[in-house]
Amino acid sequence: MTEVVIVLIIIAILVALGFGLIGMVKGGKAGSDKMFKSLVLRVSLSVFLFLLVLFAGYMGWIEPNVVMFDAPVAPAPVQK
Amino acid sequence: MSEQEYYIPDGTYWPIIGSIGLTTLFVGFANQMHGAEWGGSVMVLGFAITVFMMFGWFGLVVNESNNGIYNKQVDRSFRWGMSWFIFSEVMFFAAFFGALFYARQLSVPWLGGADNNIFTPDLWNAFSASWHQMAFMAPGSVTDTVLQSGTVMSFPAVPATGIETATPAMVVDPWGLPALNTALLLASGVTLTFAHHALRAGHRNQIVGWLVATIALGVAFLGFQILEYGHAYHDGLKLTSGIYGSTFYMLTGFHGFHVTVGVIMLTVILYRVQKGHFNADNHFGFEGVAWYWHFVDVVWLGLFIFVYWL
Repeated sequence: MTEVVIVLIIIAILVALGFGLIGMVKGGKAGSDKMFKSLVLRVSLSVFLFLLVLFAGYMGWIEPNVVMFDAPVAPAPVQK
Repeated sequence: MSEQEYYIPDGTYWPIIGSIGLTTLFVGFANQMHGAEWGGSVMVLGFAITVFMMFGWFGLVVNESNNGIYNKQVDRSFRWGMSWFIFSEVMFFAAFFGALFYARQLSVPWLGGADNNIFTPDLWNAFSASWHQMAFMAPGSVTDTVLQSGTVMSFPAVPATGIETATPAMVVDPWGLPALNTALLLASGVTLTFAHHALRAGHRNQIVGWLVATIALGVAFLGFQILEYGHAYHDGLKLTSGIYGSTFYMLTGFHGFHVTVGVIMLTVILYRVQKGHFNADNHFGFEGVAWYWHFVDVVWLGLFIFVYWL
């Protein structure tokens, strides 16, 4: 469920960014206003999403993709 | 059509200088890859010519703009040009995110025998169909080696029995540098938005302050990214470390390159703001760079979430 909300917010961010682009291409006072408002929305949603991801991770709603690599140097043989 | 509709610039030598610069750059690069001693120097020369061309050509355009030569038609051309450039950037990163999705969700599980495919353990010595280098063996268990992730990659040749592995070091911790870098880049998006607001309100001193903060945050991001690469590389994650290593460095590397370009562009915009090139109603140069920075910011947010969390 949390993953779905996260993806939906990402889509909303992309849409806001897209509207910002449309405003930029349009130009003039109206375009400039549209661009600025869209980018403010995009920044606000992004900060909210970042905090949501951290909070969800802290609460255990989502698990991080922990990336692990080589064990420290060569493993030592063990007596069985 | 009236003269107002079209702007025909004077002839210029910058395109041919750009062609010479890029050709020199790639000839040098290709020959350096083939081990030619002169390759590196020629590559640097080509890079220098290309940078010279960019200074000259972009400076010419800025001067033409400041001299009031451009009309609304030219303004529209710039805006559409920027939008096509952005479209190519979106497609560029969409391809890499697509590769991440395809490798992680489809090809690696298939190679490991998911769905109707047969398991392919003999595809490569000790092949393991795991996305990350999880290779995590409980102390005391008998195993052959610490496995690398992804598809066909190098494995330390360790005897198959009687070996106990230590718990692998956790290299990329989502709560560490990745989260810090995300916070830095998001903060730069906020400071840039304040700069944008100040520009629209005509407060030049505030624009300078917010822009400097944005550039500083971008540079800090790059610094920490280099630090993270150092950690990851030292602990065994390389471009050759299977599909995970390739995808990780491809995505984050190209993103880092874009942040670098963005920092350079913001620095140029800072210079132009101080020179008084923009006003509250006419500042397309700022808008183009601002949108680019917001895009780079969103790409990183996507990377942070899809690589480290989802």
